[in-house]
Amino acid sequence: MDAMAAIKQTFFQECEEQLAELESGLLAIEGGQSDLETINAVFRAVHSVKGGAGAFHLDDLVGFAHIFETTLDHVRGGKLAPTPELLKTMLRSADVLADLVRAARDGGTVEEGRKKALADELARWSGGSGGAPAAEEAAAEEEDSLAGLNFVPIQITEDDVDFSGAAPDAGNTFKVSFKPHRALYAKANDATLILRELSSLGTAEIVCDESQLPKLGELDPEEAYLIWNITLNTEKDEQAVREVFEFVDTDCDLTVEKADPPGAADVDIAALIRQATEAAAPAEAEPAAAAPAPTPAAASAPANAAASGDHPAAGGKGDAGIAVTAQTTIRVDLDRVDRLADLVGELVINQAMLAQRITEGNHGKASSASVALDELEQLTREIQESVMAIRAQPVKSVFQRMPRLAREVATLTGKSVRLIMDGEGTEVDKTVIERLADPLTHMIRNAIDHGLESPEKRRAAGKSEEGTVRLSAMHRSGRIVIEVADDGAGINRARVKQIAIDKGLIPADAQLTDDEVDNLIFLPGFSTASTVSNISGRGVGMDVVKRSVQALGGRISITSVPGKGSTFAMSLPLTLAVLDGMVVTVADQTLVVPLTAIVETLQPKQADVHGMGGDSRVIAIRDRFVPLVDVGQVLSYRYEAADPMTRVALLVETEGGARNALLVDAIQGQRQVVIKSLEANYGRVPGIAGATILGDGRVALIVDVDAVVADARGDVYRDPGLAMAS
Amino acid sequence: MFQKNMRVLIVDDTSTSRMLIRDALEQLGMTQIASANDGEEALKAMVASPSHLVISDLNMPKLDGLGLLKAIRAHPPTKKTPFIILTGKSDRAVIEQAAKLGVNNYITKPFTLASLKTGIEAVVGKLQ
Repeated sequence: MDAMAAIKQTFFQECEEQLAELESGLLAIEGGQSDLETINAVFRAVHSVKGGAGAFHLDDLVGFAHIFETTLDHVRGGKLAPTPELLKTMLRSADVLADLVRAARDGGTVEEGRKKALADELARWSGGSGGAPAAEEAAAEEEDSLAGLNFVPIQITEDDVDFSGAAPDAGNTFKVSFKPHRALYAKANDATLILRELSSLGTAEIVCDESQLPKLGELDPEEAYLIWNITLNTEKDEQAVREVFEFVDTDCDLTVEKADPPGAADVDIAALIRQATEAAAPAEAEPAAAAPAPTPAAASAPANAAASGDHPAAGGKGDAGIAVTAQTTIRVDLDRVDRLADLVGELVINQAMLAQRITEGNHGKASSASVALDELEQLTREIQESVMAIRAQPVKSVFQRMPRLAREVATLTGKSVRLIMDGEGTEVDKTVIERLADPLTHMIRNAIDHGLESPEKRRAAGKSEEGTVRLSAMHRSGRIVIEVADDGAGINRARVKQIAIDKGLIPADAQLTDDEVDNLIFLPGFSTASTVSNISGRGVGMDVVKRSVQALGGRISITSVPGKGSTFAMSLPLTLAVLDGMVVTVADQTLVVPLTAIVETLQPKQADVHGMGGDSRVIAIRDRFVPLVDVGQVLSYRYEAADPMTRVALLVETEGGARNALLVDAIQGQRQVVIKSLEANYGRVPGIAGATILGDGRVALIVDVDAVVADARGDVYRDPGLAMAS
Repeated sequence: MFQKNMRVLIVDDTSTSRMLIRDALEQLGMTQIASANDGEEALKAMVASPSHLVISDLNMPKLDGLGLLKAIRAHPPTKKTPFIILTGKSDRAVIEQAAKLGVNNYITKPFTLASLKTGIEAVVGKLQ
């Protein structure tokens, strides 16, 4: 890639950052944070995009950015107040700007009409002609503003400028400590040659430290014992000094310290800045020593005497060794992190195997092996958490695409929407983030398209015309919960039920609770929009959202209050790699039940279990009846319902918050397991979320609690007559 | 002979601009080029280890181009360091203000290799 192409690539990357900055800045202003710094940041973002675009002759982009910038300049200058209407225009303009950037990058085009409409709108705000000036006109207009400017460049000559002052490296003092290792000599390097080269940089005072030299009898002729301490006075910078040791720096202990240069360190930068910024305003009124249109003579005022004979320093190549930013982050190839995560997964498995051996070996709990194992377990967990922390990213990257989506859907549906976002900083594994975008996009679309009422209806219901959609993320008991809440009409249960009946999803006489009705919208083939709108009606229903959330090991639930709105909550694991599980036995099979789903475990008593006819049973838990689901039967390990008395029940909570008791034969223990995809290695199995490898090397299946419960309950939907009647 | 060996400090808050300017300066034969993200960083760099020429953007966070110019002029060791601002064509008022503060020259954005060369040579003499 040539240099220009590389720069262009950087430009587009930078544009994405600027666009994100622009949008978040505009949203902050919309939220009432209209301080000068925020407005300036917004202005800078557009200005930078324009500047870069100009360099690459992206005229479309320059033209639009210019108009945008002009309007922003009016806001910045206080000529234009950031009213909600103006901000709406600007947010939509930011979208167009983003499209123009992407069109320039990917070679597409932007709908001319939309661009022009917004350009006109922007121009109107800034009191422009109304017509959008083209890029050339914009340029011409700018050109004019410099016409007649009486500026004379101030030329300097070698005599004028105090180059000694500008290059204080002349006279840098470095303290260098050089201790070769034996490897340095073993590789045929000669310390004296290096010292000689160092001396050539300036004047060096070299002292040999022999203190580590042993007595002759103990001396190993191949070992390195000598240390050299050098005080070097040179015009070169630290980099040049270090370059002398470039080929041996792994084979020696080297310290290079800059001795304090006289004066430079004492300069109070803060004071200089304060002085510069405070005086900025009166600067205009100030006649200043360098009067209007300074002449070369003004600049060539008596140069500092110290300039005599000093040539500007000619240091090493490349950067002049100016330490500009402190490096606190590093970029690492994602593959490496993934590899690390995989290895940690293997480590977890191996540690489990080791634990098994030690248990089998009948070592006591207090034996050293057991104690060491405990420590290993602790360490493994910490390593695993650290690796996950490396992969963790704030959900912001997904959230920040949503405001634009909301604006577009709002425009298409003629609704007015305010999108409020919370908890954008909440972190979750990268793989989860990547797969979050689609379900989230759909949920936001749905919330606006189906959830919110039209402005007229809202007014009639005594609500403000502007609907609110709140998107929030939070950590809750080891999972991330993402909620999309609207303040719309809530789910129209009568209609939902009727549709489900019409589509044959439920029998006409089905008795359903409100929760059950709400959950009908997750059934495949269900679509409530009476007309298939071009927003939500893209053949993707909530069932797809639910499936993609489930594929992530997550759950989705809905709560709805008529007239007040609906809330969809996704609860997702923080990582897709490891899970805390309860290892259980069912029909001689070892299964893993995710611990997050389990509320409690209990021993069923005869008196608590009641038959509902057929295989359906419920169990009374503290005066509440919950369905008793025989896992062995649902997964077809056995045909007959098992006797609950000799077994264990796991009280689990499913996505909708519904509780069920899962009947298993026995509990083996609680363990951290590494999730392996069954789908990728074998195929999809209903009721099974994945697989793992146990300590004894066997494969165990991970139960998909929701699917097992749904399967047990699903019979009721599909064939209620059979399940209820007998 | 000295101009190409002079140390140039590029000050701009976008890496695209920094890269473009650096690329152009390298094409002009300059070898010692450093850069800073904003005025404050540039000022720290100038105080710690002054460059012979500053080419600065105007609109930057923390400390803008005019602020930087002012601070540099107020700091005795750098008060005569050649300072060139890169600016949009519409910033007439700013150029006038910068002139009062003792800016050596301005170059308009987007710049070309030729305009950059002309702009620099007008200050430091012919590049050789």
